[in-house]
Amino acid sequence: MTLELGPDTLPGYQIPAGCWDESITADGAPRDHAARMLATLARMGPARLQATGRRRDAIFMQQGITFEIPGDDGTRRDRAWPMDLVPRVLPGSEWTMIKRGLAQRIRALNAFVDDVYHAHEIVRAGIVPWSLVVSRPAFARPVHGIRPPGGVYCHVSGCDLVRDGAGRWRVLEDNVRTPSGISYVLENRLAMARLLPELFEGHRVRPVEHYPSLLLDALRAVAPGADGDPTVVLWTPGPMNSAYFEHAFLARQMGIELVEARDLVVRDAVCYMRTTGGLQRVHTVYRRLDDAYLDPLEFRPDSLLGVPGLARAYRAGTVAIANAIGTGVADDKAVYHYVPEMIRFYLAEEPILDNVPTYLLNDPVVRGEVLRRMDELVIKPTSESGGKGVFIGPQASAAERAEQAAMIEREPHRYIAQELVHLSTAPTVDPEGRLAPRHIDLRPFAVFGEEITIVPGGLTRVALAPGSMIVNSSQGGGSKDTWILDEEARTDPAPGTLPLHRPPRLPDVRYGGWHGQAQQQQQ
Amino acid sequence: MLSRIAHELFWLGRDLTRGEHTARMLDGAFHADVAGSSGGQAIALSWDAVLAIIGAKTPAPPEGAVDSAPHLESSLSVAVQDDGEAAELPQTRTGIARLLSLDLESPASITSCVSRARERGHTLRDVISTEMWEALNGFHLSLADHDTATLLQTGPYSFYQEVKARCALFWGVTDRTMLRDESRAFLEAGRRVEEADMVLRMLRVAVPPESADGPHASEAVALLHAVGGAQAFRRATRSTPTVTAVVCFLLYDSSYPASVAAAVGALRDALLIADLQPRVSPPVLRLERLVAELELQRRTPGTPSGLDKTLERVQEELALIDADIGDRYFALALAAMG
Repeated sequence: MTLELGPDTLPGYQIPAGCWDESITADGAPRDHAARMLATLARMGPARLQATGRRRDAIFMQQGITFEIPGDDGTRRDRAWPMDLVPRVLPGSEWTMIKRGLAQRIRALNAFVDDVYHAHEIVRAGIVPWSLVVSRPAFARPVHGIRPPGGVYCHVSGCDLVRDGAGRWRVLEDNVRTPSGISYVLENRLAMARLLPELFEGHRVRPVEHYPSLLLDALRAVAPGADGDPTVVLWTPGPMNSAYFEHAFLARQMGIELVEARDLVVRDAVCYMRTTGGLQRVHTVYRRLDDAYLDPLEFRPDSLLGVPGLARAYRAGTVAIANAIGTGVADDKAVYHYVPEMIRFYLAEEPILDNVPTYLLNDPVVRGEVLRRMDELVIKPTSESGGKGVFIGPQASAAERAEQAAMIEREPHRYIAQELVHLSTAPTVDPEGRLAPRHIDLRPFAVFGEEITIVPGGLTRVALAPGSMIVNSSQGGGSKDTWILDEEARTDPAPGTLPLHRPPRLPDVRYGGWHGQAQQQQQ
Repeated sequence: MLSRIAHELFWLGRDLTRGEHTARMLDGAFHADVAGSSGGQAIALSWDAVLAIIGAKTPAPPEGAVDSAPHLESSLSVAVQDDGEAAELPQTRTGIARLLSLDLESPASITSCVSRARERGHTLRDVISTEMWEALNGFHLSLADHDTATLLQTGPYSFYQEVKARCALFWGVTDRTMLRDESRAFLEAGRRVEEADMVLRMLRVAVPPESADGPHASEAVALLHAVGGAQAFRRATRSTPTVTAVVCFLLYDSSYPASVAAAVGALRDALLIADLQPRVSPPVLRLERLVAELELQRRTPGTPSGLDKTLERVQEELALIDADIGDRYFALALAAMG
């Protein structure tokens, strides 16, 4: 394979110091798995990429794949989903490692949830303090001693992965409540195939479109007491929710009902939905809202989104809830620190994927060290999500550091400290149509049915502003299609390896013989 | 009504429907080719399959691809030749997309279908409504607007979207403005014959003979996309698409409008209106029997076996019905022309 790519493939492409680039080595040469794609992009040139970008925006706007951003004048307006045109490419061998690491981690988290609501073995072994577990806001007393079918709690999970400056993968965060983003994985792939089919040339990209089938199979598998055909529903908080697009997308793809709280009702500890034909029994609820809002009788009494009695039906085992109630205790930021220990404890394996080094601040010695290094570390509140309240030391002013230090001194258990990870970069189209390095992360999605299946790739989020490491779409982040390549490039199938399946003889195609005959006559 | 007019209306319906199905199929094949299937096996909906379905000849092999093997095997491997001429899309994809989308020389191309339909519409100006004629003419003109090179460079997705939208426009306007008389019934009959025929052709090519290994589920999905029935399938069955489930859906499920059962049923209904003596009409009698047979098979419990044979039988029956229609309604006009 000859490629006209030398060390100077991307003139002006400056990888930030201390960062790993996904497609270009430190000396400027393309990495093997990305070379072909970069060559195609180079051939297309900036003008074409800009034009394709406009086409992409038009298609997304037309299809309604948008999200709201606050405008300058305070009103909210729709913007086309910002998908970058350069896919993030990973070789299959690397993905195998990630996949195993994630499966291992999710198995351990699931075992931890089970343990927390049953035997407390990890507490008795002195690994995780009980006081920490019960003080987590997501710890759910009402489900103590309840074991869902198959012992699966975390049916759907997504872990955020980052790659540090040395090219090592690390888990930044676990999410076993209601991780979102999978719809964009599928939409991105579809859009890429439509917008830039030539990029796929010579690659064998593992498909992602079977995710809805996987999920539906898993949800049907956990349905209790359904002989034959269980009813699965997807419960959304409603159209005002920021992930509503995804809820509707998944319901449509799975062919199941998209319900809101007012559509569900519990009678005699059995859950039903209100249909035109009367009440219909519901066996599995795939819920996309937090525990706190599920059932006003058990959790927040002021919740208007909840279904009274649902927790009772769940305890009675007449309805499965995915993810199970109380899983949030496993993805708490303070519990995150213990996940490698969990893997060793429950699975007797060494963790395949490492944590980012994390410090709990209860220990005065550790706390002193952290306070001394405030300008290097990242401080996160333990019970928040979505990047809220995160303090980034190197970017903070002296006053902010002092303020944060005071907050830590006041309530040390409410915070954790982490080493700053320099997110890896990948070539991304800038507004002029040129390729420039931008920081990215990766959120793969796993489905835990009878076994753990991880969809190849996942959602790559990208910070579109130069130098920024904030990848959240609410703060100027975008996304990329993520390609897992099968090792051997797509080549000619050798003769004989294809199942020989000739099309059967079909009747001849007719053309209404009229004009043909008339023309013949004229001639 | 005039036999000649009935014939033209019938074929106007067929030509347009063939164009639409070709567009959907090409879109499906294109996506399957680009996004690939797992397992590295050739997909059922390959470019060869599309050619076989539409009954077109393979485009002449490009220079350099000296393989003289019979066309059904060679063109797939041409698609994945190494990057000798990396600036070009592979010849197969480009060639077939061009052949079946834009090539006026090839009678199977979408553009040819549409231009034939427009020609027929031209001779039927007094029978069809003005709005229908304008929809046809606009369709024809919009295809001429498309620049071949750009289309194939940027991926033909928007072209196929346009074809689908224009077809839907024509049928929508027809519903709204055309009198529901005999003429309309012949137009409808042509549309439905073609629909049933195209779906059957596709199913027959995609379904392996009983002995062959079961193909991957993603091929079943590709099949659904090529008909435009993926969402309907999910809602109707709420199960994972397997090849058997998809074939049964597209063959038997008359609640899905593009299924063979629905098309055959609608064809019967159209002929009941069009025929002056439906009770003794051979095509109507055959159709009644076919409708009943499909319904019976749908209601037969258990996993169906020998689907490839069933499909073949249904298609043979449809060909007989088509011949009967020609004999009963158009023979006089054709004899006059010949």
